[in-house]
Amino acid sequence: MIEMLLTPHVEQYFILAFILLGIGLFGMMVRKNLITILMSLELALNSVNIAFVGIDKVNHLIDGQIFALFTIALAASEAAVGLGIILSLFRLRKAENVNEIIDLKG
Amino acid sequence: MLNQLAFYLFASISILCGLGVVVASNPIYVVLWLLGALIAISGIFFSAGAELLGSLQLMIYVVAIAVFYILIITAVPWRKLHKNEQHNRLIGVSVLPFIALLYVEAFLVVMSGVSVSKNKIIETITKNYGNAEVIGIKLFSTYFWAFELMSVLLLISMIGAILLGRKEEKTYD
Repeated sequence: MIEMLLTPHVEQYFILAFILLGIGLFGMMVRKNLITILMSLELALNSVNIAFVGIDKVNHLIDGQIFALFTIALAASEAAVGLGIILSLFRLRKAENVNEIIDLKG
Repeated sequence: MLNQLAFYLFASISILCGLGVVVASNPIYVVLWLLGALIAISGIFFSAGAELLGSLQLMIYVVAIAVFYILIITAVPWRKLHKNEQHNRLIGVSVLPFIALLYVEAFLVVMSGVSVSKNKIIETITKNYGNAEVIGIKLFSTYFWAFELMSVLLLISMIGAILLGRKEEKTYD
């Protein structure tokens, strides 16, 4: 048992990725503030990177890290556009919670 | 073995900080918990031997994106934030069984055995070069098309953020 805990396994990365993904998903649903919803989304995106890196570590590959790089670039662009939308929502509608966005017509 | 101990340390820190991201009510505290989680995750990357990815995580996430969030939080007035309830408790209670179902499914998948096929072509190259060199070689040969597409995506999102963030003459309420 101790021997199994002290050698790297792919399962440990997967378990950590699943736990963080669940926390991020729960945060996305339970939060009301738009900014904190985006932050939970960042946590969920990072958990996927952990799974990629874990597969690389166990399998002696490099491809997963390249996909994780793409995920980081995607998260950067998502943060820019999402925060721009939140800022304009607040400036035009004075809305900062999800339950205050009640109409879509501009 | 030391790598494993570092993994367990950083994993427990990241789970703790992730719970803080969901539970904390003040948005500034949420940013700080998120920062802790991101730094711990970069530590996991370092302990797994992905040095380039860990340093990029530190540079892009911990510095750039966290500054984004703090900049946007300062644009929102504080009095309204403190007055409102931050969590939707009804949705939280009703969603909790599904999150538990996700965990049960993950447990079943792990118990039934996760296996990946061994392919040790890269390992011989990594011994001669470092992690960053191997990633560069792969990125600019096999994944070059995806790399170019990703740069176009970043350009599009930059233009979109500039268009969304400009001042408008009239407000709608």
